[in-house]
Amino acid sequence: MREFMDYVHSAFYEATGWRRDNSYAALNATTDALLNFSTPRGLRLTLSALASPNFATSYQLGSVGVVDGSISYLFSSVPLRVLLTPQSENVPLPDLLRSYRPLTPVARRDDPSLRRPDDTDKTNESLLYGRLYLPRSQLEALLVRRLSPAFQAQFSAVSGQHLRNGGTALGLLQYDVGRYALEGLASTDGGLLGFRGVYNFGGDLSSKKHTQQSTTSPAENGSGNGDKERIYGRFSTGGEIYYGTLNKSGGISIGARFATLPDHKGTPLSATLTLNPLMGNIAANYAVMAGKDCSLATRMEFNIFSYESSWAVGMELWRKPFARSRSFNAKLEWRLDEPEKPTEKKMAHKKVDKEEAENDEKEYAGVVKARLDQNLRLGVLWEGRVKSLLFSLGSGIDLKMMNKPFRTLGLEVQFSS
Amino acid sequence: MAFNFNWSPLTADAEFYSRARDLLTKALNKSPKPPIIVDDILVSEFNLGTVPPDLEILEIGDLAEDRFRGIFKMTYSGDAYLTLKTRVQANPLNTYLFSKPEFTSPQPLAAASGLTIPLSITLSDIKLSAFIILVFSKQKGLTLVFRNDPLESLKVSSTFDSIQFVRDYLQRTIEQQLRNLMMDELPAIIHRLSLQLWCPDQANKGVETPKEETDEEGVNPLSSPPLDPVDANGNVLDPSAISEISLNGGGETQSLFSQKNLLRLAALTDSHRTLSLFTPGIRDVVFRAWSGCADRADVATPTVSSPNRVRTNSHAGVTGTTYTFSDTGSTLHGSISSRPSFASVNASTGLGVGSNVRSRPGRKKKNRVVNLRKTKSEAVTPDNQSEAGTLTPASVNIPLSEPLFDNSIPEEDELQDDPFTGDHFHPQTLMNDMGENSLTLEELTSALKDLKMLADATANSRKATPEKGSPRETPSAKAQSSPDLLDQDWVMKMASEIARRVYDEKRSQQRGKWDESEDAPPPAYEASPQSPLSR
Repeated sequence: MREFMDYVHSAFYEATGWRRDNSYAALNATTDALLNFSTPRGLRLTLSALASPNFATSYQLGSVGVVDGSISYLFSSVPLRVLLTPQSENVPLPDLLRSYRPLTPVARRDDPSLRRPDDTDKTNESLLYGRLYLPRSQLEALLVRRLSPAFQAQFSAVSGQHLRNGGTALGLLQYDVGRYALEGLASTDGGLLGFRGVYNFGGDLSSKKHTQQSTTSPAENGSGNGDKERIYGRFSTGGEIYYGTLNKSGGISIGARFATLPDHKGTPLSATLTLNPLMGNIAANYAVMAGKDCSLATRMEFNIFSYESSWAVGMELWRKPFARSRSFNAKLEWRLDEPEKPTEKKMAHKKVDKEEAENDEKEYAGVVKARLDQNLRLGVLWEGRVKSLLFSLGSGIDLKMMNKPFRTLGLEVQFSS
Repeated sequence: MAFNFNWSPLTADAEFYSRARDLLTKALNKSPKPPIIVDDILVSEFNLGTVPPDLEILEIGDLAEDRFRGIFKMTYSGDAYLTLKTRVQANPLNTYLFSKPEFTSPQPLAAASGLTIPLSITLSDIKLSAFIILVFSKQKGLTLVFRNDPLESLKVSSTFDSIQFVRDYLQRTIEQQLRNLMMDELPAIIHRLSLQLWCPDQANKGVETPKEETDEEGVNPLSSPPLDPVDANGNVLDPSAISEISLNGGGETQSLFSQKNLLRLAALTDSHRTLSLFTPGIRDVVFRAWSGCADRADVATPTVSSPNRVRTNSHAGVTGTTYTFSDTGSTLHGSISSRPSFASVNASTGLGVGSNVRSRPGRKKKNRVVNLRKTKSEAVTPDNQSEAGTLTPASVNIPLSEPLFDNSIPEEDELQDDPFTGDHFHPQTLMNDMGENSLTLEELTSALKDLKMLADATANSRKATPEKGSPRETPSAKAQSSPDLLDQDWVMKMASEIARRVYDEKRSQQRGKWDESEDAPPPAYEASPQSPLSR
């Protein structure tokens, strides 16, 4: 399950106008969410709250044989309440749980004339986050600071006795102007230095016309041209290079992605190809939103040096609640609930459009995710809401060992207010 | 007398190799592997070859139809080989990310994608040279312990032989691993195999190797210098100075020891001399026990050691080939025999107790000591005996919680004028001795570790109480635990034997001739009769 603090964290980025997914590291985010989701282990209870608009806390208690837990605090200099529904009773599940995420429009900082009206860059804002794991006495700390509209600095550190040298720290400097984004990083562990960048083109970035169209009204795009089937998406390509100054080792990779934009009328899809020329590894990821309630993803990997290959498939299925119980009045009168009047709806179509979409999302009761890889390891996850509690029930199953297939089994329960 | 060792029938057994492969595979996969090894290590080929090792019998301690104890010198340069197969991760970034916290991970997109490479390593041209202690009994199987590091040289050939760096790395790593295997794992494997062979009923009993013993082994302060070395004035020493000192082994050695330990030792000696109830706990110390007081005069001098005395201690071992060390010393201690620590100290010093237990009535034991070495020409005086017995250093694992009492008060009176008379345990002299015998001690401690493993392996089915070496206290308990005691005593005896032997070897190398050392009695012997305590 997506942790509450991660949810708050992304709300901070939203509030400051930073595009988290415009980064080379996030090129595979959609397929990773569908194929590499983590299944819970043991029993875990989380109690979280957005205590004030700027301050969030989260307490976690878990048991995998031994009882452990964590305490975390987050402070944001931007008030977050507007952008975030902290109550687990009301939070829209797709916001929290959906794996397939459509692309967000980039913030065109290089060309102010192309900026969308709702783009607001808040500079000199910062986020502080700390988390203490209790029996292990491991401490995590994160500091995010927006230096300028295009610059953001991140510093994260972990301190723990079991780690070598007592802990590690990672510094990350991000530069994002929309069309391209660069990142430089340095880690104390092995003196690792890294550099990565991504360049976007096509789709909403290809011409002024498209941008303006999409800013005016997303609904009119495409349909105005009449070519519904024409694929409308964005290309992103980039690369990364790492070098460990202390252990004299390194790594390099290049990658490209094509993903449809939300305005695309056809089936949303995202395809990524990554190549590691040093290790001879080629990976192709493909994710598609097959229906409104279903997303599928595959990954194929091949190594041209060792001829090793691997595959993985994953899916996500959204579930509507079971047959809605009749209202009390309807029961008394021995009749079914009256269906909602379509005429009314049509009348106020434009106004209600957005609310309706939200209602649609709200009516989801849960999601089932599953994945399978070439070692016949199956991961199953069922996430949903019971009353005001969010739960996540998952298991890792090894189909090769049929006598003892359940490798892991876990249940997470989360409550936030 | 001749022994006939059959090398080929061992390998003629059709199942032998498959069983040995299984055992080796298990042993190799037992410890957690580094992240670079992504698969199990598989022993794919294993052959003992046709050339048997050369065995030279140094001593046979016990010989009967159903048991055997002895020390061998083994040299091997045969055609045995071993091939291992596994898969390694070739991407350094992948292994870098392994076991790192995810929170500070740089989260590379594809730069960490793995490349696993099958690797096969062949070990051949193995050259071994070792002292082996072999204990065999029909009931307990075969126990084999290497006295020293057996591996002399080894050829490692692998898939990556063309890359110089990788080859060197593998050679180094594998030699290290193999040393561990030989010293720690192989004795356990052989013991298990022998149990299956001779006493299958015991085979599935607990034959776990006493790992915890090896963990808490005593640290030889001279092989690994202390963390906070200071000289006599408290100035911090640099590593080169330390190595110089430990090489010279001179009177400056004591300055290597931290002030804290010296204070503790001083407190201990104080508690010996007084009625103080406080005794500091000192872990992992090398302890010397006196049951006679022949060398008191020597030890009493608090000044920095003279070379003479140091040699006394070491030479004493030379004479002690036949240990007829009686129990007189320990019977004198009857009043304090209820102190467990003392009893076990005495037991581990070994010789007197060992002979005592062996000659006890009730169970008749065949005990033949075959001495394959030249007998000493010198008359063995009681003084020398006790010296030989008591001065043999032995590292005792138990904390020195109880002081050793002086066994005769008149002696105390005689030497009243010297303030350090009562000290059985004088830090300075102890450390000087250690400095002189640093190599011997180092080897000895490792030998003792091995021997302890051996003792535990043979006695593991019983509940081993730390104070099991108090035979005089409870005769009934003695009868019960006598086999253990016997083994342990023998083991301790062996330890002292080895210390002596190692010293002999060193000395014979130094002085060129073996006999020379025995012809001229060391100056120490002239010194010890001068002691007013000679009986």
